[in-house]
Amino acid sequence: MNYVKKLVFVILCTLLLAACSEKDNSNASNTGDKSTTESGTASSKNELVIAVNENFISMDPHNTGDTNSSSVQETMLEGLLGFDADGQIIKVLADDYSISEDALVYTFKLKEGVTFHDGEQFNAEAVKANIERIMNDESLRLYSRGFSLISNVEILGDYEIKVTLKEPYGPMITRFGVAKMISPKMIKENSADIPKKPVGTGPYKFVEWVQGDHLTIENFDGYWDGGERVAKITYKPVPENGSRVAMLKAGDAQVIYPVPAQNIDELSNSKGVEVNKVPSTIAHYVSLNTYKKPLDDIKVRQAFNYAVDKDAYLKVVNAGLGLPLDSIIPSKTVYYKQQKMYEHNIEKAKALLAEAGYPDGFDIEIWGNTNSDTMKGMQFIQQQLGQIGVKVEIKSMEEGTLSDEIYGAQTPEDAKLQMWYVSWSAYASDITNATKPLFHSVSFPPNGANTAYYHNTEADQLMDEANSISDVDRQAELYEKLQEIVYQDTPWIFLGVDEVVYGVRSNVSGVQVNPTGGLDVKNAKVE
Amino acid sequence: MWKYIARRTVEMIPILIVISILTFLFIHFIPGDPARLVAGKDATLEDVENVRHELGLDKPILKQYVDYMKNLVTGELGTSLTTGLPVIDMFKTRFMPSLHLTFLSMFWATLMGLVIGVVSAINKNKWPDYFGMVTAVSGISIPGFWLGLLLIQLFSVQLGLFPTGGLDGFSSYILPSLTLGAGIMSMIARFTRSSMLETLQADFIRTGRAKGLKEHSVIVTHALRNSLISVVTVAGLQFGFLLGGSVVVETVFSFPGMGRLLIDSIAFRDYPVIQSALLLFAFEFILVNLIVDVLYTVLNPKIQLNS
Amino acid sequence: MTSPTTMQNSQVQNTQKKYSPLKEFWKSFKKQKAALVASIFIVLLIVVAFIGPYIAPYDPFEPNYDALLEGPSASHLAGTDEYGRDIFSRLIVGAKISLMVSFSAVFLGLILGTILGLISGYFGGWIDKIIMRSCDVLFSFPDLLLAIAIVALLGPGINNVIIAVMIFSVPSFARLVRGATLNAKENVYVEAAQSMGASHVRVLWKHIFPETISELIIFVTMRIGTAILAASGLSFLGLGASPEMPEWGVMLSSGRDYLGTSSHVVIMPGIAIFLTVLAFNLIGDGLRDVLDPKIKNN
Repeated sequence: MNYVKKLVFVILCTLLLAACSEKDNSNASNTGDKSTTESGTASSKNELVIAVNENFISMDPHNTGDTNSSSVQETMLEGLLGFDADGQIIKVLADDYSISEDALVYTFKLKEGVTFHDGEQFNAEAVKANIERIMNDESLRLYSRGFSLISNVEILGDYEIKVTLKEPYGPMITRFGVAKMISPKMIKENSADIPKKPVGTGPYKFVEWVQGDHLTIENFDGYWDGGERVAKITYKPVPENGSRVAMLKAGDAQVIYPVPAQNIDELSNSKGVEVNKVPSTIAHYVSLNTYKKPLDDIKVRQAFNYAVDKDAYLKVVNAGLGLPLDSIIPSKTVYYKQQKMYEHNIEKAKALLAEAGYPDGFDIEIWGNTNSDTMKGMQFIQQQLGQIGVKVEIKSMEEGTLSDEIYGAQTPEDAKLQMWYVSWSAYASDITNATKPLFHSVSFPPNGANTAYYHNTEADQLMDEANSISDVDRQAELYEKLQEIVYQDTPWIFLGVDEVVYGVRSNVSGVQVNPTGGLDVKNAKVE
Repeated sequence: MWKYIARRTVEMIPILIVISILTFLFIHFIPGDPARLVAGKDATLEDVENVRHELGLDKPILKQYVDYMKNLVTGELGTSLTTGLPVIDMFKTRFMPSLHLTFLSMFWATLMGLVIGVVSAINKNKWPDYFGMVTAVSGISIPGFWLGLLLIQLFSVQLGLFPTGGLDGFSSYILPSLTLGAGIMSMIARFTRSSMLETLQADFIRTGRAKGLKEHSVIVTHALRNSLISVVTVAGLQFGFLLGGSVVVETVFSFPGMGRLLIDSIAFRDYPVIQSALLLFAFEFILVNLIVDVLYTVLNPKIQLNS
Repeated sequence: MTSPTTMQNSQVQNTQKKYSPLKEFWKSFKKQKAALVASIFIVLLIVVAFIGPYIAPYDPFEPNYDALLEGPSASHLAGTDEYGRDIFSRLIVGAKISLMVSFSAVFLGLILGTILGLISGYFGGWIDKIIMRSCDVLFSFPDLLLAIAIVALLGPGINNVIIAVMIFSVPSFARLVRGATLNAKENVYVEAAQSMGASHVRVLWKHIFPETISELIIFVTMRIGTAILAASGLSFLGLGASPEMPEWGVMLSSGRDYLGTSSHVVIMPGIAIFLTVLAFNLIGDGLRDVLDPKIKNN
């Protein structure tokens, strides 16, 4: 009987533990922000729940690499410049700006009457504090993207400031759009909190961020631009596609982004749900190692391009979404010029392959990460190249391993990479970043993402010149030439440009996605 | 027994140190460069080296380890490489949900498993047995992510009963714990049934019956207690697993637990987070094992712990 | 308690079995109707695994972009997948891969785990400690990290899936066998055998190992199913077999995005996996009832 007692004791303990844990749980959610417990069913109360596919990484606007984090920051923080719905530069906290002819001096006139969420004034001092924070801390992501080139920041007046560079840097204007302003008080007194709860000038202010679960912002009444807005927005990371779709259908979320391609039809036919598509700057391609056999032969690379049916690619891999990639950059990118595409022509591809000395094809590897979309794309390439006798082996590697394999090679001779299924995205206003890391010979891994090991001296010169001037017409000329040359040299299999898709409940309006894939809900409304 | 527990607790320290060394080497041994991943795809080599220096990853590995352990002794788990937040802060928000989910899943799974197992064993080869075992087999033959997606489709989308994911109070735990517990319930049910069948045939049970003990008393006091040995093993193992968080279920339900924290950290090779999480899991696991071993003696005094 | 009887019983049974073990076994096994049906299913499945490529109505790798995600019909019994490939043909050809992965992984894990568990439980002391603590270390490493490590070190591919799944099962087998061994060691007939001067190996093999069989059989049958599921879990994380392979786990996880739209892509491999696991479990139950010396039928 003694054992029965012990047994009962054990069972009771288990029950008790379970009961305690339940109690703890309800306490935990109550002690937090009270309203968070209600955020799941917010639709009727002028609130939004937004489900996105990835976790937020950091709220430090000067140290953010992922689109998801920066699109949340956009609601709370503003830069001197910003981007419109097409990704082109607009003025935000700057009233006006000018760039010297040698592309070295940037002068900004600032908006007056702007205050930070903590009551601090926005002025030239505040801008200086922000720029100096970035140029003095090399661990910040923006440091290595232009700000390390700043030699001098000079206050010309309460609302006027001049920034001088050591050498010209094409994307600098885009960086002034990316670098959001943080309250100078926070930078001085409390900079450790910047990645956690930033204080800016935006229409929304930070409420709370529970890592991995949700991030909440609320309307900032003192916003300089006035306007009606939603009272509160809760972001939730929901990586699983099916779950995100289910949330929108169930009304647990009013906005989801992105909508998985295969669910577009399903959602379009659902009641109370709307699906919208926007062309993006996200290009999909397979980089071909032009340094090594057999891809060093341009005929082989052309054969690959003729063998792959781009329309079928979009239909099969992208569920009919997107556009063929008909240049080396997406159509939304500034200075884009359409090229004559490689049409789908198996016979021509076979002939080219035979001319190159491979009438029976060969074996080759394609690398990619483990995302289900990537795996789908690689299988498609495998099927298409199979038609011209090329046997493709798929190696899908976990991201960290993959990056080691690619960037571990110190010289082109070391590189084991043959084909890489990958995508690239740069700001629509930033053509430098859409070309130089991919096609310039200084960008061979590990020094950049030129994984095609593409080397053309003329192309290098075109990029170098375009980066050192501020004359827009001349830049346009140079970049058009560049697109022609590189497209003809075929360092990639040119596949497609994504359309990004977001879903909203029908009572929600004003949601936008910019071409970089950032979700913009600053002007969202709920009826 | 208390002496035994005390001794085992002391023994934990060297084990944890060994584990910390192993995990540290292990993590750094896996291919992948956090500096490269933090710096981004468009980073130049110089950028990457800057980041590496700033993160302290250019120091000798031994020094990195010693620094880490020094911090650990003072209760510091370091700072995440990707978020720049203290690791302990990240754990605070993730650990409790995982713990609650584990308790809830284990609780219903064990209870249901025992009930199904006992009922099936008593009614061997009758319909309650068949029904119970079909339930059990179903539980272990459905892939977790599939069951989770089906449950969401049914209970959240169609019926609107529970949230589709996230963490908003108690109702958020129900579907994930159903998904997590299904397999465990099945295991426990099957183990209970087979051990019960064995012990019900054993001689001391027959002796008990012969002595005129009531049937339910035979079942509860003798047979069930004896069967619990294997059940405790299975349940203990599963409990240990669950504490580490379930990556798959947490992903399907966007549940903010340790499993998803770990998978995100692995993707970015966020060494301090991975290292601390693994140490925590190891600690939990050893603790659960200790409890299992102690329960052995409670359930079967024939086993001696100190020998 | 009443140990002498136990000893006699088991001896009597052992001798009985030695007369015509197969015949005896078949006689009892025939009575297990469910297990019998399940065995037939598995035998058929194994046959299919061998002749699969010859009987599949379509080439399992051949895409058809004009027939994407078609539901089940007369021409495509189980419908087509996201490349327009015939799912039925893929299931048939994939049976071999899925069975091979799970069988090899489980049996490798079984052998290694059982040996470790027997040694650990029987000898106790520092050997026990080392083995069990190593298991703890293995255990406390989340499966995922192990999988990533294995795949990262060895590269992606089906063999490494087998190795990963095997490594997950070794500590489970070891712990389970150790538990059963601890239990069995206390039995008086083991002590008797020891006192009569039997060697360690003999005691382990003749007296203790048989005691662990019933639990092992259940665990192995469960584990074969679990192995198929584990392989699909690895695929869920993108670490499984190569994506074009018709391995069931790969099919199940790559089809998951279509659950809300073209559910047959997910449901068909799901059913295949479910039935197979079910069958293995039923056989396990049947075998157990027949083999276990402690359970007498009726």
